Amino acid sequence: MERTVTVVPEAGLHARPASKLVQAANRFDADVSIGRADDGDDGLVRADSMLSVSGLNVGHGESVRVVAEGAEAADALDAVCDLLTSEVEAESEREGADAESDADGGDPT
Amino acid sequence: MRTLTGVGSTPLSGVGAARWYRPEAGLTLPDRPDPSAVDADAELARFEDARDAAREAIRSARDRAAERVGEEEAAVFEAHEQFLDDPELVGDIEAAVEDGTPAEHAVHDRFAAAIEQFEALDGPMAERADDLRDVRDRLLRVLLNTDADAVADLGDLPAGTVLLAERLTPSDTAELDPDAVAGIATVAGGRTAHAAIIARSLSIPAVVGVGESLREIEDGTDLLVDGADGRVVVDPDAATREGADAGPAPPVPERVSTADGRPIEVAANVGSEAEIAPAAERGADGIGLFRTEFLFYDREAPPTEEEQYEAVNAALSAFPDGRVVVRTLDVGGDKQVPYLDLPDESNPFLGRRGIRLSLDEHRDLFETQLRALLRAAAREGGEGLAVMFPLVSRIEEVEAAVSAVESVAADLDAEGVDHAVPELGAMVETPAAVFLADRLAERLDFLSIGTNDLTQYVMAADRENDGVAAYHDPLHPAVLRAIDRTASAAAGTDAWVGMCGEMAGDPEVTELLVGLGLDELSMSAVTVPAVKRRVRAVDSDAARALADEALACETRAEVRDVLDG
Repeated sequence: MERTVTVVPEAGLHARPASKLVQAANRFDADVSIGRADDGDDGLVRADSMLSVSGLNVGHGESVRVVAEGAEAADALDAVCDLLTSEVEAESEREGADAESDADGGDPT
Repeated sequence: MRTLTGVGSTPLSGVGAARWYRPEAGLTLPDRPDPSAVDADAELARFEDARDAAREAIRSARDRAAERVGEEEAAVFEAHEQFLDDPELVGDIEAAVEDGTPAEHAVHDRFAAAIEQFEALDGPMAERADDLRDVRDRLLRVLLNTDADAVADLGDLPAGTVLLAERLTPSDTAELDPDAVAGIATVAGGRTAHAAIIARSLSIPAVVGVGESLREIEDGTDLLVDGADGRVVVDPDAATREGADAGPAPPVPERVSTADGRPIEVAANVGSEAEIAPAAERGADGIGLFRTEFLFYDREAPPTEEEQYEAVNAALSAFPDGRVVVRTLDVGGDKQVPYLDLPDESNPFLGRRGIRLSLDEHRDLFETQLRALLRAAAREGGEGLAVMFPLVSRIEEVEAAVSAVESVAADLDAEGVDHAVPELGAMVETPAAVFLADRLAERLDFLSIGTNDLTQYVMAADRENDGVAAYHDPLHPAVLRAIDRTASAAAGTDAWVGMCGEMAGDPEVTELLVGLGLDELSMSAVTVPAVKRRVRAVDSDAARALADEALACETRAEVRDVLDG
């Protein structure tokens, strides 16, 4: 499943918003990818990678496409799109700890 | 014995053994072996171990920075950890290792590509390249088994170390242990850079901007760092050492007046809860700048009204008879708070910061802060509380801020909550505030001149940019005239005028500042005793004459001559 949204945070996908998005993508049992809406499938990168997400250099107001697959794809899609479309990012509890253990885990393949 | 001169940054002295901090030293890669000669499994295990070690180091650096400085500097380490665990980086490096590349070469190659990619981007992302370098170097240091002596572990230096560096970043400085580091001397950098301010708040003697001659000093050389006189003495003799061993000047606990009886309030700038007690111990009359930002750093959501109330209470309790001037939230510019999602701006110092945010997108935070402050003003000893607004440039802002105070007071009234309206003031940091100082003074109880930003804006010179360091000096005639204009504008009103920039803590200019008509000086706690002593020696008439002479100067050099003369 996938969704296309317009990036609301003023800072775009830089710094803290990028960091939050990577944490969110890491939290679910799903493969999440993200890219500019105009760039098609070739423009998609892993949403759980700080390097890839910040490397997109996506700014405020740009249109991005989010694709999620896997058991928790729907939840992951909601979480990531929420972050992309919230003016002031919603602070959810305990996500730091969760993301940490997931990020350390082995290769999902 | 040989003396090098620089800019005194922390006015304390210390003697110790030189130790260079060269973050990139010893990271030369060995020749690449033939892939068939590489034991891929062993290399994968080495990479994993290196990541574990780096992760541990990053986390402890983060905790130390958060605890010691309580600054936004801690947040940078969170990004470092995300890069360390980045699945793309880790996956590519592991793949290269499996193909027969030794771990250190695989790390080097993949990070080099990432750094290049980030440097090609515009704006804030380019700075991420520095974070990647930092993470890469941590990994390489473990993988290359770099001799521990080659790169000093900043948090674990032996006692009596004088740290020498090209320059120190704020995060480097935040890691230093003030009990171990006898002094800091740097080739580049200025006294208003954030790293220098952190060194002062840690009471580490520091001389910055020594220049090329510092590079000739070898590890192990005996050095005296004299931050009061801005000099580094190589192989100091016994008499010179003795002068330094005298340690910091004893505090002057009582309030001081000039020789002819004009009282001058000497207060401390406080940027974390840990700095409150030392400020009182150093004999500060009160707090002239209570930076509330620390309450917002190092957390995931803004502090509650209750937390802010307690923090202000703690400050008021430490100074039962003194004044505590609380600055409302001053973020933006170079001060970022992650969860506030401040905009990435091409020119943040001229963008959304200070009162501009408080009256607009951060209105809710502002009102919560005002509720805490108005409640604190009603507690026992709360009459000493004063509140000031940062980066004022328009009268409308002051009117809006005052009406926000009134509306919060009305709300508290309706809720039956005890409250009082504290003294209200504006910071004078912009040329606009200088030109409007007379009108600001009519509407408010006080003005406080923030010389770091005022100098930056009057001289159009970024305080963090070494290329314009010569401009960033409050002794330029234009800045002195701005200070004079502000003080003179307030002189005809009931408002008092203070100064809370770094200039206020320089005992060399105390007489000048008294002569310019300031009623209050607020500074890093460490300089309070020296400034109090200076105040006592000042004669008001002579000080006014000195100020007039300085104001008549056309160049900074002439001002220096007047002050030295």
